[in-house]
Amino acid sequence: MRRSVYIRICVAAVLLLLPLLLAALLSSDRLATQLDQRNLAPGLEHLFGTDWLGRDMFTRTMKGLALSIGVGFLAAVASGLIAGSLGLMAATLGKTVDRIITWLIDLCLSVPHLVLLLLISFVLGGGVKGVVVAVALSHWPSLARLMRAEILALKASEYVLVAKQMGRSAWWIATRHMLPHLLPQFIVGTLLLFPHAILHEAAITFLGMGLSPHQPAIGIILSESMKYLSTGMWWLAFFPGLCLFVVVRAFDMLARSLYQFVDPARFQR
Amino acid sequence: MRKKLSKALVGSLAALIILAGCSESRGSLDNAARSTTETAEQKQHLILAIGGEPDEGFDPTTGWGRYGSPLFQSTLLTRNSELEIEEDLATSYSVSKDGLIWTVTLREDVKFSDGEPLTANDVVFTFETAKGSQSVIDLTNLLAVTAQGDYTVMFELQAAQSTFVDVLTTLGIVPQHAYSANYAKQPIGSGPYKLVQWDKGQQLLVEQNELYYGDKSPFTQLTFLFLAEDAAFAAAKAGTVDVAAIPSSFSTQQVSGMRLEALQTVDNRGIMFPYVPAGSTTEQGYPIGNDVTSDPAIRKAINIAIDRQLLVDGILEGHGTPAYSISDQLPWWNEATVVEDGNSEAAKQLLAEAGWSDSDGDGILDKNGLAAQFNLLYPAGDALRQSLAIAVADMIKPIGIDIAVLGKSWSEIEPLMHANAVMLGWGSLDPLEMYHVYGSQFAGVGYYNPGHYTNETVDQYMKQALAATDEEQAMELWQKAQWDGSTGLSAKGDAPWAWLVNIDHLYLVNEKLDIGQQLIHPHGHGWPITSNIEQWKWME
Repeated sequence: MRRSVYIRICVAAVLLLLPLLLAALLSSDRLATQLDQRNLAPGLEHLFGTDWLGRDMFTRTMKGLALSIGVGFLAAVASGLIAGSLGLMAATLGKTVDRIITWLIDLCLSVPHLVLLLLISFVLGGGVKGVVVAVALSHWPSLARLMRAEILALKASEYVLVAKQMGRSAWWIATRHMLPHLLPQFIVGTLLLFPHAILHEAAITFLGMGLSPHQPAIGIILSESMKYLSTGMWWLAFFPGLCLFVVVRAFDMLARSLYQFVDPARFQR
Repeated sequence: MRKKLSKALVGSLAALIILAGCSESRGSLDNAARSTTETAEQKQHLILAIGGEPDEGFDPTTGWGRYGSPLFQSTLLTRNSELEIEEDLATSYSVSKDGLIWTVTLREDVKFSDGEPLTANDVVFTFETAKGSQSVIDLTNLLAVTAQGDYTVMFELQAAQSTFVDVLTTLGIVPQHAYSANYAKQPIGSGPYKLVQWDKGQQLLVEQNELYYGDKSPFTQLTFLFLAEDAAFAAAKAGTVDVAAIPSSFSTQQVSGMRLEALQTVDNRGIMFPYVPAGSTTEQGYPIGNDVTSDPAIRKAINIAIDRQLLVDGILEGHGTPAYSISDQLPWWNEATVVEDGNSEAAKQLLAEAGWSDSDGDGILDKNGLAAQFNLLYPAGDALRQSLAIAVADMIKPIGIDIAVLGKSWSEIEPLMHANAVMLGWGSLDPLEMYHVYGSQFAGVGYYNPGHYTNETVDQYMKQALAATDEEQAMELWQKAQWDGSTGLSAKGDAPWAWLVNIDHLYLVNEKLDIGQQLIHPHGHGWPITSNIEQWKWME
């Protein structure tokens, strides 16, 4: 059981590190237009073929994935921090704060995700910055709600009440009793934000949002490939789409395996 | 949680697919069925996917048909496939010796599609309305237009204007009695077809105008589908349209039952540079000028570093020609404007002489702390302009100029176009366009001269050319405006633009459809391909 979890974690980690490594190793020169090499089907020279401007699709896909993973990382960490602190504040700072934060969570959850992403990105003027901030600012609500509920449940648990009655300080209770219980939940919850963030990065770049067509981003690659699908250039969409799917699944697998690792009992339940 | 994620995955993919679908297949293919059932009978109904839906509607007084062939309306004069002037609504016209008075006599048998006769009053009304509309039609030189009886019109100009004849060939006549604020959506005219229904963003249905005075087309009904380029190509492949405009990237594909027609044009694409340094703003508060592109060395270096033939071969699949000016091959074009291009060494030398160097070693030139970087905007939905922009940016990078390529909507481009380079296109059969695009008095007027180019000598040449009453003299002056040996508006002179390519208009046409002898096509906007629709034939 433990071994298979280890194996899955390793496979997922390799799948995630590979595009990062390749993106760093592959020369940016292969992103430049090579008009005499255009529309080539996949082959040894160009593993994923070339596009209508002769750009190497393998390089574009790997750099695009690296950007997606980067955005996913930034967004997940930022969302995790927001969710953690808001969840904590809601659960500990009294009813008024709790009401405001719960209202904020409900508000964000009530707006369709993609619309919220577009709005934030648009307000920030688009570009990579807009995409990162939009994804970061739109993924925290569900985790914040989870953290709030966990803390409220913990506050009412017997061992915390006993500790309180024995005169332990709030800080002592928070660090000794609450944190060890909350941290695994928090880390796994944050990890599970990754695949969502990556998919949403792809979706929002698919819609443009001020990114340059020079920028190798998976969403841009996919949306541009749509124009050329009817000419039979299937490789423009197939490989980048497949790679995106693999990366998202790998993140999902990693998070799940870690979850199983830190809290096997809960996972089996 | 696992279920939730799979749901999110599926949902996101579905959203992507739906969104892709929306962007692709604007417009309906409902007519497909109609087209196929009809082929058995006498073919009278054509389905065309040739793009060019005019957002502002079909009112000639605000710009519809400004490149000719207004379809619903007819013009006083017209140009044949050899670009020679012929009478249309007019039976004759004459110009006074000083070039100030133009007199046009009208046909007496013309009726609008609602049955009312077309008279001199309608012509007067049309020109007065167009003049008052402050639109792209420039009639500032028109002092007065008066009806002399029912069928004679007299135009009085402030100054002689050799290009006034082009206004007479492009401005469609609208009916005074049926003109209202809604006219652009429900046009009535004396042209070969009348509008039946316009579903904006989808399709336009038109049928033959029974009262049309000219030769009638064998096709009684036309449906224009407004499809994106790839959707038009897919429709052609499926056999659901008779004519489809396609981008050059699709031209290498064989489509059964269709043939490829590559029609010669003066439709060009080029990069417009902000000509003045940054600092000022337009009346609306939009920034004007750019410190990098205002340096002539930058503009000239780009002009000589670009390999135009490679762009034609690589992006247009050979269906086009290198462009060196706004009017290549036209009678007023100056051949001396052709620069030797594809020469990055000469470009580098030019930049070095102007004081640009890579002092911080990042591969991008700089001068007094200013890096040689600027944005190049293009309309996001236009695959050709996007490809050109990306390819040019990559061609220019080795000489040390960094161009950031950005796709925007036209409404986003408008506030930005005075301070950023833009991939624009022009191409008219009228030299007046050169005056609009390069004349200092048109700086910042609509899409004319957004880079605020000014050169007094060039202005003088163009004004003299407009005022010339002798055709040959006018041509010589237009050519001097481009390059007179020491200055000019071309790449040899001030280089406010880097022209790239003239594009052939590519259509997939049903093998059985003969589209006649086509004239040299101007820049899009409107349907130059249908200007000779009375010559079209179906051959069983």
